[in-house]
Amino acid sequence: MKIILVCSAGMSTSMLVNKMRKSAEERNIEADINAVAESELKNNMDNLDVVLIGPQVRYLEKKIKEQVEPKGIKAGVIDQMAYGMIQGEKVLDQAINLMNGK
Amino acid sequence: MNNRFMQKFIEIAGRIGSQRHLVAIRDGFVAIMPLVIVGSLAILVNNFPAFGDFKFVEWMNGIFGEGNWQQVGGSIWNGTFAILGLLIAFSIAYNLAKSYEVDGLSAGLISAAAYIMLVPWTGDGGLNAAWMGTQGLFVAIILALVLTELFRLLVKSKFTIKMPEGVPEGVARSFTALIPATIILILVGLFQALMAVFAEVSVFEVIFTAIQKPLQGLGNTLPAAIIIAFVNHLLWFFGLHGTNIIGSVIEPIYLPLIEKNLDLFQSGMSAFDVPYVVTKPFLDSFVFMGGSGTTIALLIAIFIVIRNQQKHPYREVAKLSAPAGLFNINEPVIFGLPIVLNPVMLIPFILVPVTLTIISYVALATGIVPKTVAILPWTTPPILSGYLVTGGSWRGIALQVVNLAVAVLLYIPFVMAGARTLKQRMEGK
Repeated sequence: MKIILVCSAGMSTSMLVNKMRKSAEERNIEADINAVAESELKNNMDNLDVVLIGPQVRYLEKKIKEQVEPKGIKAGVIDQMAYGMIQGEKVLDQAINLMNGK
Repeated sequence: MNNRFMQKFIEIAGRIGSQRHLVAIRDGFVAIMPLVIVGSLAILVNNFPAFGDFKFVEWMNGIFGEGNWQQVGGSIWNGTFAILGLLIAFSIAYNLAKSYEVDGLSAGLISAAAYIMLVPWTGDGGLNAAWMGTQGLFVAIILALVLTELFRLLVKSKFTIKMPEGVPEGVARSFTALIPATIILILVGLFQALMAVFAEVSVFEVIFTAIQKPLQGLGNTLPAAIIIAFVNHLLWFFGLHGTNIIGSVIEPIYLPLIEKNLDLFQSGMSAFDVPYVVTKPFLDSFVFMGGSGTTIALLIAIFIVIRNQQKHPYREVAKLSAPAGLFNINEPVIFGLPIVLNPVMLIPFILVPVTLTIISYVALATGIVPKTVAILPWTTPPILSGYLVTGGSWRGIALQVVNLAVAVLLYIPFVMAGARTLKQRMEGK
């Protein structure tokens, strides 16, 4: 599955991305996880499954949903606590749940 | 907290934060940041402070001859700060056009060309350098926005030359831009001629005296600094990226102020005597230590208050946040503690930065601490940033230490209160 995290400066999100990759590896999930700035999102939509939005840019939720949902891509705001505590596993769960339409 | 009000607030702040033109302005400034930082570092090196008995500038003069080596930094300045208006005219137009998914490169080039068309000339046939830099910033912003809107309209209205299929994309693109560029540049040329003949004044002078100068005067006051600190932290309290949302307003006003400080510092004025107190580096170095909310002080307060319980949730968050916090990245503590929508943390999170803004303003305005004469990457750790930003003064470090101490003291009671609430809640379960 391909997951993209959208945030603003990409500093703290990249720490989260590393944790998520590790978690995916441990669980034997083949996942392509990356963090990009909002303006870069449209260049990264090929084969994309889930867009996760950083809580500090949650105001982009509506705009991003309008952009990706017609293409069957799921989007959601990352749980704030999980984001803050850099809980890669929880955020990965959230992505999987989103993809499965839960 | 009233939920409807909160939703409304987030929605409005979000709409401002994602407004297309404001985003283009902000991203335009973000794009030139590397050049700005290099230009600023060049000035810092050229005027590097003496370190005890070691006088860097004299030592370099001894090796390379008086002033020769400083030409490197001087020419870097000329290519960065001295032409900031031109660079911004390009980068904002580029970003705005990209957001409309029209040709950003062409829009940027047209905007830069129009900017040069309007710059006044000197008597001996050169461009007047005064207007190439930050004094022309507002003209650059207005030009970039207006011309790019025009460019988009023209391109979308099919006022373009279509090339047959098989023509390479770059070539086709430059032909697409040909007619819009022609129309826009003729309009700008007519405007320039009309201004010169009838008003006998350049648009740069008009905009500068009517808009830019008053705004800058306002920006350099304590109330303005307090308002910025307040709004930024209120936004962060709601979990929104404060600096990002207000960046499009702050950058155009404050970049010229630090530029003036830098320019005078470069020509030999001491950092005590440069004119402007409130600048973005001022806020970054003396107030936003460890990130918005001076959260590095919050981390210290947590380590002081919760010494004995290694597994306490606050301590866990603080430990997790500390390494990034040294570089002023603080999302972990903001979202993890959390500070966001946490009523206990609302008061110190806003009170601390506002207090530090006042202390720092007074310290700089009264001449106890030198003013800011360098732009650093915002990730520069405190202490180092205090030293560099004041042009190499220990007084800059001293102010940071005082500010940190004040901030820690202010945070401690709230950390205690927060820990108590947390305990009650856990026991209640």
